[in-house]
This record gives sequence, C-alpha cells and structure tokens, in this order.
Amino acid sequence: MRSFPFTAETYLSLFAAYNSTIWPAQVVAYGLGILAVLLALRPLAAGGCIAFAVLSAFWLWNGIAYHLMHFLQVNFAALGFAALFALQGALFAAMAIGGRRSFRFRPDAFGWSGLFFCLFALVAYPLLGWLAGHGWPRAAVFGVAPAPTVIFTLGMLLMLEGRAPLHLAVIPLLWSLAAGGAAVLRLGILEDWSVLLGGLLGFGLLVWKRRQSSAIIAATQ
Amino acid sequence: MNHLTRRTFVGSVAGLGAAATLPAFGQSPTAEPILKKAIPSTGEQIPVIGLGTWITFNVGNDEKLRAARAQVMQTFFDRGGSLIDSSPMYGSSEAVIGYGLARIKNRPALFSAGKVWTLLKTLGVNQMEASRKYWGIERFDLMQVHNLLDWSTHIQTLKEMKAQGRVRYIGITTSQGWRHGGLEEIMRIQPIDFVAFSYNIIDREVEERLLPLAAERGIAVIVNRPFQEGVLIDRMKHHPLPPWAGEIDCANWAQFLLKFIVSHPAVTCVIPATRRVDHMEENMGALRGRMPDAKMRGRMARYAANV
Repeated sequence: MRSFPFTAETYLSLFAAYNSTIWPAQVVAYGLGILAVLLALRPLAAGGCIAFAVLSAFWLWNGIAYHLMHFLQVNFAALGFAALFALQGALFAAMAIGGRRSFRFRPDAFGWSGLFFCLFALVAYPLLGWLAGHGWPRAAVFGVAPAPTVIFTLGMLLMLEGRAPLHLAVIPLLWSLAAGGAAVLRLGILEDWSVLLGGLLGFGLLVWKRRQSSAIIAATQ
Repeated sequence: MNHLTRRTFVGSVAGLGAAATLPAFGQSPTAEPILKKAIPSTGEQIPVIGLGTWITFNVGNDEKLRAARAQVMQTFFDRGGSLIDSSPMYGSSEAVIGYGLARIKNRPALFSAGKVWTLLKTLGVNQMEASRKYWGIERFDLMQVHNLLDWSTHIQTLKEMKAQGRVRYIGITTSQGWRHGGLEEIMRIQPIDFVAFSYNIIDREVEERLLPLAAERGIAVIVNRPFQEGVLIDRMKHHPLPPWAGEIDCANWAQFLLKFIVSHPAVTCVIPATRRVDHMEENMGALRGRMPDAKMRGRMARYAANV
C-alpha cells in the first residue's frame, strides 16, 4: 500500500501556519456556525437561505483557503480536494439561492442527532484534539478546517426539514471516509476517529430519515 | 550510450573496491575512504549512499522543520554523500532541498536527481523547469520519468535535453514493485542511463530479472525504499545484530541493510530517506568499511529472513 506523502509533524505544522495566517477567520467561523444552529432551533423566514449560505461559505473557504492555498504545499491531491469542496460549496449556494428548504430542530432521533453532531463539531472535536496534543495553533478549527466542518454539515443536514437530500451528503461522506481514515490510520490523529465514524453514522441517519419521509408521503397519498 | 559488456560489468563491480581506495569524497569526518560505484554509461563514480526525500522532506514552509532538514543535508554532505533524489510528487520536498542547499557550508559536488511526473510534453517541460528553480541549480545531473507516467512522451524530451547538455543523464523510476513488466520493456529498448526501483533484503524479486538486465544493458541502478519506509528497521531493531556483522563493519541495522543492497554488483546507489541527523549518521556509516561478498550476502539474507 502506498504510504502517505507527509508525516503528522508536517500536517500539524501546516495547521499552525494556516491558523496564524487566517486569524481571526476562526472567530468569524464560530459566529457563523452558532448562527446556523440557532436558525435551526429558532427558524426565521429566510433562515434556510442564511444557513445554506453559511455552509456554502465554509465549504468554499475550505476548498480555496485550506486545500488550494495551504494543503497543496504538501499534498498534490489537494487540487482534487479543492475542486470537490468547491463543488459542495456550489451545491449549498444553489440551495441558498433556491430558498425552498429550511432547517428546523425537531425533538426526534434525527433532530437530536443533528444537534449533537453540530455541538460535537463546535465543542467536543477541538477538546478531543487538545487532549490528543493537537491544541491551538495546531488544531483543525471548526468552519475553516475540513474535519469539524464535515461533522457540522452532516448535523445540519439532519435538521433539514422534509426529505433528506442525500446528494448533499455524498462529498461529506467520501471525505470522512478517505481523509478521516487516512488521518487516523496513517497519521495517528486520534480525534479523527470521530470524522470517520461520524461520516458513516451521519450518512446512515440521513438515509434512514429519507426512507421515513418516503414512507410517510406514501402513507398519506 | 555505452552498453555494458560482461567485461565492463565486472570492471564496474571491481571499481567499487578501487573507488574505496580513493581519497575521501568531500570533507569526511574520518580518514577512511568512501565507497563509490561507476555509472556504467560514463564511468563517473558516485558514492553508493544517496539521500531520498519522499515524505521526510515534505515539511511545507515550517522554518524550524526546514532548518532541521538542512541539518540532515549538512550531515549527508559532511559524511561524503552526493546524490539527492526528489520529485514534484513529494509536495514541498524540492523547495526544502533548495532551502537546504542554499545553507550548506563547504558543500562538495551535488549529484542532483530530479523527476518529471505529469502528463504531456509541455507540462513536463514546465515542471522540470519549476523543479530546477526549487532546487536552485543550473541543471539536473539526472532527470527521471517518475513511475513511468507518460514515459514515451517524456523520454523523447529527456533525450533532447541530454543532447543539448541540459541534463547529464536520463532515467526512469518505479517503486514498491509496480509495473516491473513495463519497466523491463523500457530498459530493453530505450537508451537510458539510470533506472530506479525498490529492493531490500526481504523484497528481492528484482534479483531475478531487473538487476541482471540493468547489468547487461549498462544501466545504473538507484534503489529506493531500502528499509520499506522504516518497517524493516522497526522489525529488526528488537533483535541483536549478528556477531559476524563486524566482519563487514556494520555497527547497526541500517548499515547492515544498506550494505546488503549496495553490495549487489548491479546496484549503483541506494537512497534511504530520513528526517533525523542521528539516522543520517548511521546510514552514512554504510559508505565505509568492508563490503559483503556473495557468500556473506547469502548469510545476511538468511539471517534477516529469520528475524
């Protein structure tokens, strides 16, 4: 099996440089993330548009600022990752412009799971990283780094009203499997077990939610 | 290209011993001569231990890590090293090499081995020029087609560059046992100076066809992955060196494994990669002292297989 092109030392050093370069974008990202969760908890008329715009901004930022402008230094594959993240950002932008879907927390399995995923990305993931010795500035920070952004995205999609749009979860799932797996198995970034498992669990819940929605629609027809 | 006859091949192998009697290359910390082998197509001698940069030199822009790699390079040159190998595929490694070369004190001659790793002629030419700038050198000594990628296009470009004096040697590489069939075909029909592939005391498949073919065709051999990216060292380090390792002047497992490789008559040079100065010092120890003969090589292989 072909080995990874860089070490954990390089990977964490890259995050340190990235975080210092983009500061205080991390603070803005946290603000936007909290806003998106609040819009799901207390829906507004344009809440769906705003939350999708936030997700779009996160993914585009990760594609351009992280993958293209930083990660590409040490990994040629980052060019492809940048394209995928930009595509996901464009899909969310289209949803924001379309304005037909809204986020709403419901106290069911999907709503609680979604909220858990979001809070995990905002609070628990950085804590796990800190415990694993990857605290600031070497941390993968919510909204501006792929791992917590992917977990957050799946959480938000679980709180989306109506049928779960699986096409919006494909890239997050692929990323969580590929990058989460590589980070854990190749670099020993233990907190990324949550990305790997979260991707599988989140996508599985979305599939379940979609099936439930389809069953309800069929029963009412 | 001068193809290797049996007579010149034997001479090349014997040259290893002859080179060892030459004065030390560069600023050797010891008076003991270093081991060199001849590039068959020209007879130019190069030290048998080079420096690989896969993973280890891909440290991005981190100033501290770059300085640490420059120290590894300094040790490499101080101990008599010359050939450094890299590729655009290795992320920031080429830029880190350039950073290090600009800071090496009293640097002896560098033998620069670059690679082209892309599709299409234009992209290949641009990539090689970018690599040259990263390294901060006038020209590459050796330019290789990496992993056979679009090799039929790039080999033509490399032949032109060699004819124009823009590169001294040309070659082709693979690793981890990939595409050996294709590599063998290229070695048979193309006038290349170098070939690179993986070989170590456990993975010895290349002894069957590729190494004899390289000898027959007069192609220098660079060996990559001598430690299976550290796996072999990790496996061996829990066991003591055999007492007879002293007969070939091996003080540690790195030297044991490297001397096994470079003592193969068809191997010209091996390129272990490291990010640590102490490991570099261990590796460069294999550049000196007695080399195993065929009988000793067999003994080494049997011992390693049972560890």
